[in-house]
Amino acid sequence: MAGKALVITSGKGGVGKTTTVANIGTALAMMDHRVCLIDADIGLRNLDVVMGLENRIVYDIVDVVEDNCRLEQALIRDKRHKNLFLLPAAQTRDKTAVQPEQMKTLVNELKEDMDYVIIDSPAGIEQGFKNAIAGADFALIVTTPEVSAVRDADRIIGLLEAEGIKDPEVIINRINPEMVSRGDMMSIEDIIEILAVKLKGIVPEDQIIVVSSNRGEPVVLKDNPKAGTAFKNIARRISGQEVNFISLEDKSFFTKLKKIFSFS
Amino acid sequence: MKSPITFKVAKDGIVLSLDPEANFKRIKDALRDHVESATNFYAGADLYINIAESSFKIDQLNEIVNIARGYKDVKNIIFTSDVINRETTDTLEISNEGETYLINRTLRSGQKIKKAGNVVIIGDINPGAEVVAGGDIVVFGKIRGVVHAGAGGSDKASVTALKLDPTQLRISKKIARPPEENSKNKKLQPERAFIQEGNIMVEKFEI
Ligand SMILES: Nc1ncnc2c1ncn2[C@@H]1O[C@H](COP(=O)(O)OP(=O)(O)OP(=O)(O)O)[C@@H](O)[C@H]1O
Ligand SMILES: [Mg+2]
Repeated sequence: MAGKALVITSGKGGVGKTTTVANIGTALAMMDHRVCLIDADIGLRNLDVVMGLENRIVYDIVDVVEDNCRLEQALIRDKRHKNLFLLPAAQTRDKTAVQPEQMKTLVNELKEDMDYVIIDSPAGIEQGFKNAIAGADFALIVTTPEVSAVRDADRIIGLLEAEGIKDPEVIINRINPEMVSRGDMMSIEDIIEILAVKLKGIVPEDQIIVVSSNRGEPVVLKDNPKAGTAFKNIARRISGQEVNFISLEDKSFFTKLKKIFSFS
Repeated sequence: MKSPITFKVAKDGIVLSLDPEANFKRIKDALRDHVESATNFYAGADLYINIAESSFKIDQLNEIVNIARGYKDVKNIIFTSDVINRETTDTLEISNEGETYLINRTLRSGQKIKKAGNVVIIGDINPGAEVVAGGDIVVFGKIRGVVHAGAGGSDKASVTALKLDPTQLRISKKIARPPEENSKNKKLQPERAFIQEGNIMVEKFEI
């Protein structure tokens, strides 16, 4: 049984890729799937911190590629879910320490044993990005409702198409319902209209994300009504369930959402 | 055998380079053939004849000018030896100026299409994408990126789209930007942009 490899990428930095990987990975594990997260942001590793696993790292992805250890030795088991693993990035090396071909081999090996392999891509379109997408079957693009982030997301979709990764889907992060209803933010329909790809989820701006990242506890672990529910819903959609988009109480926000349904 | 004359489209006109090794009669014949087969691609453009490294007598230069006058509607004929400045890296090969290229997808940010002929796109031109054509640009979709029609200097080129909302629109040497207050109107309204009396005009396109 081979699992699926999913890359989370964005183009623009700081839009929430690592947060998304940690949360949908944890949520999928909570649904009893076997999940491995790969931090492909070599040189700027973060995912271990957001997962609260930093102090357990012995080996990293570069050690595996350079045969300093076996793959199983580098995998860190999550402290909360025994079916969730992390392959950490190296902090003291750079992107060139791994080649796309090696990455592909690694991901394929992990897929043998996992339901989902989720790859956290670095920002940008250089080698780090190429490594991150090398073994992926599907891509999820994270963007925020800003013109520059959407522009970069569009660029990334073009590059993915060129690499043969078809039909990427988009997650819009840090939506602020009040700003959208005031017209101060790009609306979801504006974004989807430009990108012309399927919407996978909408995650609201939520202070709790910053707190939970600092504590190393993904928000999906607690019953968090805003961002937590949004990430859980994305995980359920990934595993094939139909889930309606969250309403976030705000009326005008809800109307906007209804419009996209008719759009796609 | 390689042609003794070569053409490049530069920012401010067309550069014709004469091979300094070739004999004068071959140059003349090649130029005459080219003039005869040329379309109005050169209309409104300046023609720079690059004589760098060649040595011609004054009456030979005269003969060249006389042949080059045969290009329809060329604005000025200018001799130059300054190749580097005129031939930007942005040059187009213009051997296919009559052709039409069909692009059957949306151009996304960072993607650029550059063709000597006409370009027809079935899809959108997204913000951050760019299309440069020697001839016309026709888009069965929305233009939100940068488009340049008549890039070889043709004032007769036009840009047509189901929705014209470009970051910047250029025809020949003219540049237009849409008004600052961005149009919230999402309705598709086919429009065509072209040059009239030296300005870029936009008219609703009646089908
Ligand atoms: N929905 C949200 N609400 C509030 N803060 C958020 C949200 N999503 C992400 N953040 C915050 O934004 C910052 C950047 O997030 P994150 O590290 O996940 O982005 P990234 O895309 O992985 O960045 P990089 O490109 O540097 O890898 C973090 O401080 C995170 O806590
Ligand atoms: Mg990150």
